[in-house]
Amino acid sequence: MSSGGVIAGIGRFGIFAGHVVWRSLTPPWELHEFSRHLWQVTTRCVLPVCATVAPLGMVMALQGLKIFELFGAQQLLSSLVSVAVFRELSPVLASVLVAAQGGSSFAAELGAMRIKEELDATEVMAVDSLRIHVVPRFLAAVVATPLLNLAGSLAGIAGGWLSAVVFEGESSGQFLSNLWRLTQPIDLVGGTIKTLVFGALVGLISCYQGFHATGGAAGVGKAVNDTVVYAATTFIVANYFLTSALFGAIGG
Amino acid sequence: MIAGITGLGRFGGFLATLVVASVTHRPPIRSTFEEAYRIGVRSLPILLTISVFVGTNLSVQGYNAFAPLGGQRLIGMFVALAGVRELAPIMVAAMVAAKAGTEMASQIAVMRIRQQIDALEVMSINPHWYLVTPRLFGIVLVLPALTVLSVFALVTASWLVAIFQLGLNGQQFIEYASSTTRLVDLWYCMVKAFAFGITICVVSCYYGFQSSPGPSGVGSATNAAVVSSAVACAVSNYLLSRVLYG
Repeated sequence: MSSGGVIAGIGRFGIFAGHVVWRSLTPPWELHEFSRHLWQVTTRCVLPVCATVAPLGMVMALQGLKIFELFGAQQLLSSLVSVAVFRELSPVLASVLVAAQGGSSFAAELGAMRIKEELDATEVMAVDSLRIHVVPRFLAAVVATPLLNLAGSLAGIAGGWLSAVVFEGESSGQFLSNLWRLTQPIDLVGGTIKTLVFGALVGLISCYQGFHATGGAAGVGKAVNDTVVYAATTFIVANYFLTSALFGAIGG
Repeated sequence: MIAGITGLGRFGGFLATLVVASVTHRPPIRSTFEEAYRIGVRSLPILLTISVFVGTNLSVQGYNAFAPLGGQRLIGMFVALAGVRELAPIMVAAMVAAKAGTEMASQIAVMRIRQQIDALEVMSINPHWYLVTPRLFGIVLVLPALTVLSVFALVTASWLVAIFQLGLNGQQFIEYASSTTRLVDLWYCMVKAFAFGITICVVSCYYGFQSSPGPSGVGSATNAAVVSSAVACAVSNYLLSRVLYG
């Protein structure tokens, strides 16, 4: 794609995002559709999110233990695991998995509707397709991602506990009593803010890709593919800036 | 429950057919290199972007963790160990699953619903050998190399952040980074990448082959492919870390 194409694409995405955000702030809202999508996204993503964050919590505990043993500071292990999980691991991974599972199914559904000309049909009937198809999905992604992040954080800490206590034989009481020593309320709030932003990005990117799918079944596949890639890339880039802003580290 | 067991059995059957097809046929050298080029070169820009920002973030978080204890010097060690041992392999695997893996799944799913795979079988060309083997060999060939490149980008980016954003001593960063990371860590990192490459390719192609008809079938096959390969990589990452470093 030429650079002109990229800039035009960003502009189109910006206009689409403006339309969607404006419609999600003004009534009428499709509450029934919204709750249906929220339920679907949450139930479909909760297992993949937990199944991905838990092994990474386990790895975190395993590798952290190796390093802390060098300094004889094993009691800090659980504090490290909880800070890392709440601040970084769970927000990023939960959002990537929401993009992979929920976002890509949004893109697939909307893409299939576009290919079968169902979206054109709704517009012919003077029904605002953005309002009834896109806004509920966007809001569902915004609400579901922080909830899934909480589930993921708990799963990550449970994974760390499993690895440290059950497999490596650390003391369970020590693990649990040091768990909240370095974790501040700001970590939880920061993780929630991050996931709100990431959820909005997933909703916008996936609906944009699905809404503008072209070219038959292969086009739907491509829309799904692009959703996951673009969403994951934007998260990781945005994550650096959010981390710098929220947890502040401008050295002197 | 029953559906899960049936799916597992079907996956086992797919794996067995694939292994037999890859072993008994002549390796498809030409198309292997084409796939390797496609996977490697087309994923490279996105991988480097990701690695750069993971690296910068690692520096900032490491600074937050170590500065209160007065251990700013240790950031180099932290970045190099975390990056080489864990983050680079798993991030590269996740991005390749998202980019190349979904592409494999949707390409094969489209061939399935257009009955091109049936057409291959009619011409007595083994579809597993013709479609999956080159992708498997290709991804196994390039993924370790991509991971090493990503380690390089990650450490460079966090070095730059340590100097310019955090105001640390760059010389010290390099000393700590290179004194704690051994060459064997880099080999282990490539071993992980090798295993993740096999996992991603087999899982994605399996879902492509199982696609149900229609555009929504292709969409949900692609969807299932990326989620399953991400979960499979995360779980096997723990097992590999335990075996290699435990």
